[in-house]
Amino acid sequence: MGDVVQIYEDYKDHADFLTVYVREAHPTDEWQMKSNLKDDVCYAQPKTLQQRVMIANDFTKRFKFPLPFGIDDMSNAANDAYAAWPERIYIIDESGRIAYRGGMGPFNYKPAEAREWLAARYGAVKHEAPKSPPAAAPAATATTGATAPAPTVSPSPAPAASAK
Amino acid sequence: MNPFWRWAVGIVAFLFVAAFAGLSYMAGSPKDAYGMVRYALPHMHRGTLKVGSDAPDARLVALDGTSHFHIRERTGARPLVLLFGSFT
Repeated sequence: MGDVVQIYEDYKDHADFLTVYVREAHPTDEWQMKSNLKDDVCYAQPKTLQQRVMIANDFTKRFKFPLPFGIDDMSNAANDAYAAWPERIYIIDESGRIAYRGGMGPFNYKPAEAREWLAARYGAVKHEAPKSPPAAAPAATATTGATAPAPTVSPSPAPAASAK
Repeated sequence: MNPFWRWAVGIVAFLFVAAFAGLSYMAGSPKDAYGMVRYALPHMHRGTLKVGSDAPDARLVALDGTSHFHIRERTGARPLVLLFGSFT
């Protein structure tokens, strides 16, 4: 999801975005996932449009989700037209044709492919945080741009070691 | 029951158990294998859309729960990145 928001931020000046909320993938009354228990994302499969609207609003509020948002109604028209469930990405070009058709989620749900399509047209967007040094620092410290993250951690173990 | 049928039933039962065990391993647990077969596979479709197909329209509900708009209202001027998903 963070990937998607980043793509939106990078390309919103060039392309429009629309997120469509479809039927739940792992509701409590179907195939619930342990990770959803841990993250406290526990919803039964909506039986009414009101329930879908409520969950969609929970989602957008919880993550301050910036993308334009629409909800598939109980006829599942959008889901059926696009074979969307559980998650999927398409890009529609200016002529109204499918320009990019993402694979079926979750295994073939690849935001990076949509990013490539946008990058091919509008140029790649480079980010400050480098992905290259994997062992150097966790992503959190890399994004803050702190020049010397190590010294802030070291003081406490250092005196303890020297005291003995 | 003659020996042929006994073997046939035995082999089918073995394949069934083996398939379930394999799926359980892939999915993480027997419960996940059941969930996948019962709840996921019936809803996952390859779909008929291809690159170059006309993008189908559908009417969506806005976050306010009352107003509506169409996917095709959002297309035309610029490419539209269309993302489908749910919370869970």
